Amino acid sequence: MRILLVEDDNLIGDGIKIGLEKSGFSVDWFDNGADGEEALFTAPYAAVILDLGLPEVDGLTILKHWRENGLKVPVLILTALGDVESKIIGLNKGADDYLGKPFSLKEVIARLNALIRRNSGYVSSEIRYKDIIFNVDTKTVYLNNQNVVLAPKEIALVEMLLLNKNKVLSKNVIEEKLYSWDTDVSSNAVEVHIHHIRKKLGKDFVRTVNKIGYIVED
Amino acid sequence: MHKFSLKLRLMIAFSTFFVLIGSICFLVSWFEAKESTDEFFDSYQMALARNLASADWEDVNHSVLKHTNFEFKNIKNAQDDDEAIGFAVFDLSGNMVFHDNQNGKNFSFKGYTSAFVNENVKGDLWRIMRIKSADKNHIIAIGQELEYRSDVAWDLTEEFMLPWIVGLSVLLMFMLMIIEREFRPLKKAALQIKNRKPDDLSQVQMSGLPKEVLPLVDAINELLQKLQTLLQTERRFVADASHELRTPLAALKVQLEVLQLCLDDKEALNKAISNLEQGLLRSAHLVEQLLTLSRIENLMPDFDDAQDINWKHHTENILNDYQTAIKQKNLRINCDKLTNKGPISKANQTLIATIIKNLSENAVKYSPKGANIDICSDDKCFEIFNLGVTIENKHLEHLGKRFYRPSGNNEKGSGLGLSIVKHIVQHYNCDLSFTNVDNGFKVRVTKQ
Repeated sequence: MRILLVEDDNLIGDGIKIGLEKSGFSVDWFDNGADGEEALFTAPYAAVILDLGLPEVDGLTILKHWRENGLKVPVLILTALGDVESKIIGLNKGADDYLGKPFSLKEVIARLNALIRRNSGYVSSEIRYKDIIFNVDTKTVYLNNQNVVLAPKEIALVEMLLLNKNKVLSKNVIEEKLYSWDTDVSSNAVEVHIHHIRKKLGKDFVRTVNKIGYIVED
Repeated sequence: MHKFSLKLRLMIAFSTFFVLIGSICFLVSWFEAKESTDEFFDSYQMALARNLASADWEDVNHSVLKHTNFEFKNIKNAQDDDEAIGFAVFDLSGNMVFHDNQNGKNFSFKGYTSAFVNENVKGDLWRIMRIKSADKNHIIAIGQELEYRSDVAWDLTEEFMLPWIVGLSVLLMFMLMIIEREFRPLKKAALQIKNRKPDDLSQVQMSGLPKEVLPLVDAINELLQKLQTLLQTERRFVADASHELRTPLAALKVQLEVLQLCLDDKEALNKAISNLEQGLLRSAHLVEQLLTLSRIENLMPDFDDAQDINWKHHTENILNDYQTAIKQKNLRINCDKLTNKGPISKANQTLIATIIKNLSENAVKYSPKGANIDICSDDKCFEIFNLGVTIENKHLEHLGKRFYRPSGNNEKGSGLGLSIVKHIVQHYNCDLSFTNVDNGFKVRVTKQ
C-alpha cells in the first residue's frame, strides 16, 4: 500500500515513514505543501497523511484543492490543534479522519488501515475469499484457518488484490501502488511476488490476465 | 479606627460630635443659668435687705418674736421651697433681736460685711449679706441657701437644653439614615464585584454610584481592563505554548515507537536514537525559550538593575561560544566596526547578552557555508549583516512574532528567539528591524 505523507517536521516525517514501512506500507514523504499537493495527482496512493501546520500552503487549502479536483483518496489529517472546532473544520473540508499531536504510530497505522478498508467498501477488518481470511489490521493471512507467513510486500500485494477484487491490476499499477519513488524496483519484482503468493496461497488465488496484469475473481 | 467600615466610622464620628457639642452647650448653658440666677437672687436679696433696713428696729427685741404665720396654703402656685430665704436682725452687740422664725434664726452675727459671703449654716451652704439698718444700730443679715439657687439654675438649664437634645438626636438619626441610604449603591457595587467569577473581568457598572467614588471605580475598571489584557496575553501564550509543544512531543513519541520497531535493525536503531536525542534537545530548547519569554514578558521589573554595557565585550564573548559552528561552516565574522558603545548604554547585563546571543546564533545558524557576517555597533545602533542570506519580503513583517518561523529552512528553532529580542529591545525604548539589503539580510537594533 502506497501512502502519501505530507509533513514538514523532519523528526515526525522520518518517524512515520520508517514506522509505516516497517508495517508494510510504501511511503512517499514530502516536507512542503506544494510538492505534496502535486504528488497526489501523479501516483495512485491508497491514503494520505496530511499535516495541517505546513509552511507556505496550509494543509486545509491543499485538501480543498484535491477534493475540488475530484481526488477521493482517503486523507488522515495530523495537527497540533487538538480542539473540537479545528477537527470539525478539517472533516468538513473533506478529511476522512483526524489525529491530534502527539499521536501514537500504532494509531496512525490502525486508522490508515481502517480508511483504506472502508474506501474499498469493506466494513470488517477481515476480508474472506474462498478459503482465505485476510486481516487488514493485523496484516495476517489464514489459509484453511492456518496462519500463512508472507513477506511484507507479498502481504501488501495480497491486500491490494483482495481490496480490488474482480478488477484487473496491471503490473505498472501494482508497482506504483507497491513502491515509493525512492525504491529501486527490479523489472520482474511483481512476477516474483506473485510466484511466492501462489506457492503459499494456492495457484488459483490469482489469475494472470493477458500477461499484463493480475486479477482475483469470485 | 481603620478596621471599621467607613459607614461605621462616619456614624461614630457624628455621634461623638453630637455628644461633644451637646455637652459643651449644656456646660455653657449651666454656667450662664447659674450666673443669671445668682445675679437675680442677689438683687432680690438686696431689695429685701433695703426694705428691712428702712424699718424701725429700736423697740424690737426677743419678746416680739412670736409665731410667725408662714402658711401659704391659700396662695395658689406657691411651693414650699419658694421661701428658701432667711433673715435675722442683730443689735450692734451681737444679740439677735429679730428673725424670720425659719432659717434666719440660725444665722450668726459677724458684724457688718460689705459683700455676699458663702457660709455654712447647719450643714448647708448659704449666701448671706449683712447691712446696717437705717438707724445704724442694727445689723440685718439676709441669706439664701445655695442649693436652692443651683436647683433653679439646673431647672433653667434643663428646660433650655431639652429641645436642643431632642433636636440633635433627631438630626443624628436623620444623618445616620442618610449615610445608610447613600452607602447602599456602594454596598451593591461591592457585592456585585464580590460575587463575580474569577474570569469575569467586565467593567463595574457606574450608574447610581455617588460622584465621589467614580474616580475609584474608574481606577478599578482601568485595572480590570489591564488584567483582561494580561489574562488574554497569558491565555494566548499558554495556548500557543501548548500548541507548539505538541509537535516536538509527537516527534519524540513517534521516534520512540520507531526505536521499538527497529530493535533488530542496528542501523535504523542508531538513527532513531540520534533522532530521539535531537528531538529531546529541540524540546529542551523550546521549553527554555518559552520560559525566558514568559519571564521577560511578565517579570521585567526583575531585570531593572542597570549597569554600563560594553557591546564589544559581550559580542566577542558570545561569538566564542559559537566557534565550532563558525569553523565548521567556514564563516568569516567581521567585527572591525564593532565598538564598546551600543544603542543601549545602561541595562541589565543578562538581557543585553540575550539580545546579542539570539541574533548571533541566528546569523551563524542560517548563514550558508563560507558566508560573511558583519557585526557593527555605535551609540545609536547595533547591527548584524548576513551576506548571502535573504528572507522573502512576505516573511519580514512577521519576524519577531511568537512561534513564527519562515518556511524553507532546515534549521530547527523554537520561533521564539527574535520574539524575545523584540521584547527586550522595546523595553529599552529601541526598535528591532529586519531588511534585505545588497543580497544580504540585516538585523538592526536602533535607538528610538
